[in-house]
Amino acid sequence: MPAETASDTASTAAAPGRAGPRNGAAGSRALGLGRRLLTLREGSVIVITVVVAAYFAATTDAFLTWENFKTLLPYFAPFAILAAGEVFLMINGEIDLSIGAVYLFAPFLFYEVSGLPLIPALIVALLACMVVGLINGFFTAVVGINSFITTLGMLLALEGFTLIISDAQPVPTPGTSVVEGKSTFASIFGGGTYSELIWALAIVIVLQLVLSYTRWGIYTVAVGGNRHGAAEAGIKVRLVIIRNFVLCSLCAGIVGVLEAVRTTSVQPDPSGANSVLFDGISAAVIGGTLLAGGSGTVVGGLIGALLLGILNDGLIIKGVNADYLSFYLGVAIIIAMAANTYVGRVRTGSASG
Amino acid sequence: MVLQVEHVTKRFGPVVALRDVSLHLRKGEVLGLLGDNGAGKSTLMKIICGFEQPDDGSMTLRGEPYEPKSVDHARSLGIDAVYQDLALVDELSVFQNMFLRREKIRSPLPFLANRTMRAETREALNEIGINIPSLNAPVARLSGGQRQAIAVARTVHSEADILLLDEPLAAMGAKEGSRILDLIERLKQSGEVSIIMVLHNYVHVLASCDRVNLIQDGVISLDKPTSETSVEELTEIVVNEYRRARMAANAEGAGAA
Repeated sequence: MPAETASDTASTAAAPGRAGPRNGAAGSRALGLGRRLLTLREGSVIVITVVVAAYFAATTDAFLTWENFKTLLPYFAPFAILAAGEVFLMINGEIDLSIGAVYLFAPFLFYEVSGLPLIPALIVALLACMVVGLINGFFTAVVGINSFITTLGMLLALEGFTLIISDAQPVPTPGTSVVEGKSTFASIFGGGTYSELIWALAIVIVLQLVLSYTRWGIYTVAVGGNRHGAAEAGIKVRLVIIRNFVLCSLCAGIVGVLEAVRTTSVQPDPSGANSVLFDGISAAVIGGTLLAGGSGTVVGGLIGALLLGILNDGLIIKGVNADYLSFYLGVAIIIAMAANTYVGRVRTGSASG
Repeated sequence: MVLQVEHVTKRFGPVVALRDVSLHLRKGEVLGLLGDNGAGKSTLMKIICGFEQPDDGSMTLRGEPYEPKSVDHARSLGIDAVYQDLALVDELSVFQNMFLRREKIRSPLPFLANRTMRAETREALNEIGINIPSLNAPVARLSGGQRQAIAVARTVHSEADILLLDEPLAAMGAKEGSRILDLIERLKQSGEVSIIMVLHNYVHVLASCDRVNLIQDGVISLDKPTSETSVEELTEIVVNEYRRARMAANAEGAGAA
């Protein structure tokens, strides 16, 4: 990514005004490191996450324990995966509001086709999610409807469809029967303690590599940054957009299945699905991805999800009333974004931010 | 004749951009394309490079019928363009822009060969004599002239043998501009590359082009070797056109009142 490799020039741009002459090499080195960190795209959210974690660690006994780390995982790993897909679309200059609906739909379809063996059933469910992405992409890129509208429609339609096929009744997740002990399938796909974490890390690493070091990634940035210019350069803009919608829906479908396996049942609960949507998008945005497109990282989304998870978990440990929880989360998101915008301006060394 | 455009028309809704344009490009020639803003120069360039498709008319490339379906298609046949808006992505680095849509891949994994692309970018920019401090910097940080130099270098470096340059000097100072004109002169000396260049500065036209075409209201109204014309003649034609347009606008205004 350009901004990371260009951190040298950026830090010199950030220098005037704040870096006075300092005595002692260690001090200036620490200052340099801090400045370098802040000029990283994810820098500000890393700093905020560390500060928040330090606060909870200092003020509660329970936060900094292995047990709590395990409690934290489900608050964090699924959203890192959701954010990863959403980051691609947002860099593309689009948004997908249907990830919550896909998250809800995938495990129900998995249940509906569970006459098949588990793995083929899972594949069918995930393919169906990719078709949802294909439809989103088609209406956005080919028909030309704003993705906010397309995916808002998809959100409603797909949640409705899920209620129809499920008769609004909860179902047990296939492959999670505990009669004969936890199956290997369940352990791999969300049931194991670290299963979701491993999935999240694997997906984030792979997608960050795709974003930074492949044509797909470069074209995603190009289409988000200068759509007309990308087309003039010969990039197939529609294909790039559709591909990212499919990726985003696939990520949401994977999370839906992982969570259903972890909790061993699926609730047909659209409002829960919608809050999943908000958390996924929040993670991406907190991680420094611009809604306007052209800029963002998958790793940032992961850190954004981690910050959300830590806030959620830490506030619960502190015994904060559930009503205050979303209030604090909202304030945290706005502060994180304000910091990002400020740092972004310093980083590019211009008034364009 | 390496490229022939015959009776091409192009409409955008009710607007006729090209009425009936025929244009010929000889091998190794530098053709200057002049015309008022909105005369259809950029549209013509975009049709030749495959970005737009003509409504009517035909094109011939090296004796074969030429109907580019896309920019990629035209590029595969050796035609590449520098667009007026440069088609650079601000968020991408200098070398990523340099190789946009022509990325080098490090097999067997589909990862970009960034080191190779960076080295080749450095080489190409040195060849032109344009100094850009960091190839990793996003192009948003560069000056207008530097951005334009990158766009020109990208196209020249593309191994295309028909280059379309839409106002390649517009954002450049005299020094940068003269480097680009030197580059075009070198390409001309090689004899392998044919160039169509949209320009506004008649001195540049007379200095670097072999022939000049003037496009007015969607048709080519003048086609002369540069040796047979002068800054005065070109200026006079354009001044007359401006007068006519102003009188027409005045008449229209009077009619409306």
